Amino acid sequence: MKTKQLIFLSMLLVVSNVSAQDENIRNIPFDTIRTGEVRPRTIAVEDMKYVGTNHITKEDTAFMRAATGVVQSDIEFASDFELTEIDSFYIRKYEIKEMDALAWNRLGADYLVRLEAEFMGANMRVRWRLTDTKREQEIGKGMVENSGSRWREIGHDIANDIVRTLTGDRGIFRTRIAYCKKIGKGKEICIADFDGSNEQQITFNGSINISPCWTPDGREVYYTTFVDGPAHIYKVDITTRKTTRIAAFTGINAAPAVSPDGTKLACVLSKDGNSEIYVLDLSGRMIKRVTISKAIESGPTWSPDSRLIAFTSDRTGSPQIYTSDADGINTKRLTFEGRYNDSPIWSLRGTRVTFVSRTPDGRFDLASIDTSGNNPHLMTGFGQNENPHFSPDGKHIVFASTRLGGSDIFVMDASGRNQRRITTSGVCSNPTWGPYR
Amino acid sequence: MRRTSLLLLMVALITSLMVLNGCPKKQEPVTPPPAPVETTKPEVKPEPEQPKQPEAKPELREEQLQTVYFDFDKYNLRPDAKSSLDANFALLQQYSNVIIKIEGHCDERGTVEYNLSLGEKRAKSVMDYLTGLGVSASRVTIVSYGKERPLDAGHNETAWAKNRRAEFRVVSQ
Repeated sequence: MKTKQLIFLSMLLVVSNVSAQDENIRNIPFDTIRTGEVRPRTIAVEDMKYVGTNHITKEDTAFMRAATGVVQSDIEFASDFELTEIDSFYIRKYEIKEMDALAWNRLGADYLVRLEAEFMGANMRVRWRLTDTKREQEIGKGMVENSGSRWREIGHDIANDIVRTLTGDRGIFRTRIAYCKKIGKGKEICIADFDGSNEQQITFNGSINISPCWTPDGREVYYTTFVDGPAHIYKVDITTRKTTRIAAFTGINAAPAVSPDGTKLACVLSKDGNSEIYVLDLSGRMIKRVTISKAIESGPTWSPDSRLIAFTSDRTGSPQIYTSDADGINTKRLTFEGRYNDSPIWSLRGTRVTFVSRTPDGRFDLASIDTSGNNPHLMTGFGQNENPHFSPDGKHIVFASTRLGGSDIFVMDASGRNQRRITTSGVCSNPTWGPYR
Repeated sequence: MRRTSLLLLMVALITSLMVLNGCPKKQEPVTPPPAPVETTKPEVKPEPEQPKQPEAKPELREEQLQTVYFDFDKYNLRPDAKSSLDANFALLQQYSNVIIKIEGHCDERGTVEYNLSLGEKRAKSVMDYLTGLGVSASRVTIVSYGKERPLDAGHNETAWAKNRRAEFRVVSQ
């Protein structure tokens, strides 16, 4: 009944400390293996019905079908829910014209979504109703209206409303991701919806552009570019496509990370002799040097409260993850397993850091560890995986993988379940998830 | 020139880069250098006519400077890299006006950001070695391309070994 296509169900390798785990269960954040033990609630989304009185065009019908499809795939995407598919065999066999809530309940649906459309000129107006099938009670309803050709937005808005009704959380179905895509001889920054649709190129310099990072308002993307020769940090306005140079010190200017409070930019500069972490303001003015070492420091990322920075350093001879206050004090090493740990990103609650780890069999895989340094585990178990980044609700991770040949963008639940590919061109890498919209 | 058997081969294909093909070193390298691309058709181009300055000073060609290679996640110079750089140093002494740029590169493993820093470390190791031998620091600049410009697009150790490198560019002479 459920059509969720699991590309690969994660194999989870708990490396550490079994005895300490029971203690931690109460504090387990979302991005742990235990998320998978909760049965997701299932939701049925019926086909959208036309309830107006006028004749409707073929195009209108197509819009209705497409918007329904968006709601269904969004619900299927949500880690808290699964989609109950209409069992066409059952419906045909019993010649069922209309399923009531109880019938859906018997098919395993905890909730039922009914969609009704009207057309006002070019606009499509959709009313949605959410029913608890067991109690046969309506628990939410709403209305979304937009131009019919914007059926994606209509579908995403409805799915966001449903998720908010059931969980109280904002939905992520209008969020976007930024990533790099090989175009011609260069690599350009592109953005797309969280599900990979609506791809748009936002840099056009023909050079190599990497490491995109959204501002918290979602209006700009900071990135590293070779357009001037050496690596410099620029930003681009995603609407106007206007680019601005931010950092062009001697040497490397790279790995921009805008703080979640939108006031600071952590980055890597090598102007003082070798790669170190610095904090600049958003226009590129120096605020503070964070690290001082002869080793490589790389890949800074902010804690959700914008107070701490995690980064990679090879000061012990191999790349490992460290955390530090944003002003450079209280540095502590976080990872001790393995010879290559890199690319850290904080979980939304700030209690765990997800990163890339080289496995004993030589793969690069996503891993996760408590900020206390406990409970490391691997997350995907399959292929080469890089550049993890969380969705704004912290429930999903986007990453790049070459597991299917070319390099593509994948997403999964923060637990590692439901891994799926969202780009198919084979030339995409380096994703970051944008803020709520 | 200490090295007697310097063999120059030009790979004159559209997309290919010029590869200098040094002969095997007399000493035993700890880690063998990766086999550089073999070319079977060295094209002997007639020297293009220089109508303006027929008596121009011979110029250092970029491909005369040997590319040096590194181990995974390392930026220290292997013995084979040092002997390549010794040869490059001799050339730089000979062509004393040449200004060079050293490009540091990495293989595809590891992140974009870390490799950018690693590539710079590699370029800097090379620069430090050459300036240590006596090349003026004002003649050398470095740039890192991280893992963005692989020589070999393959996903295996042969390709990776070729891509972990520092290349030389002649900026002016």
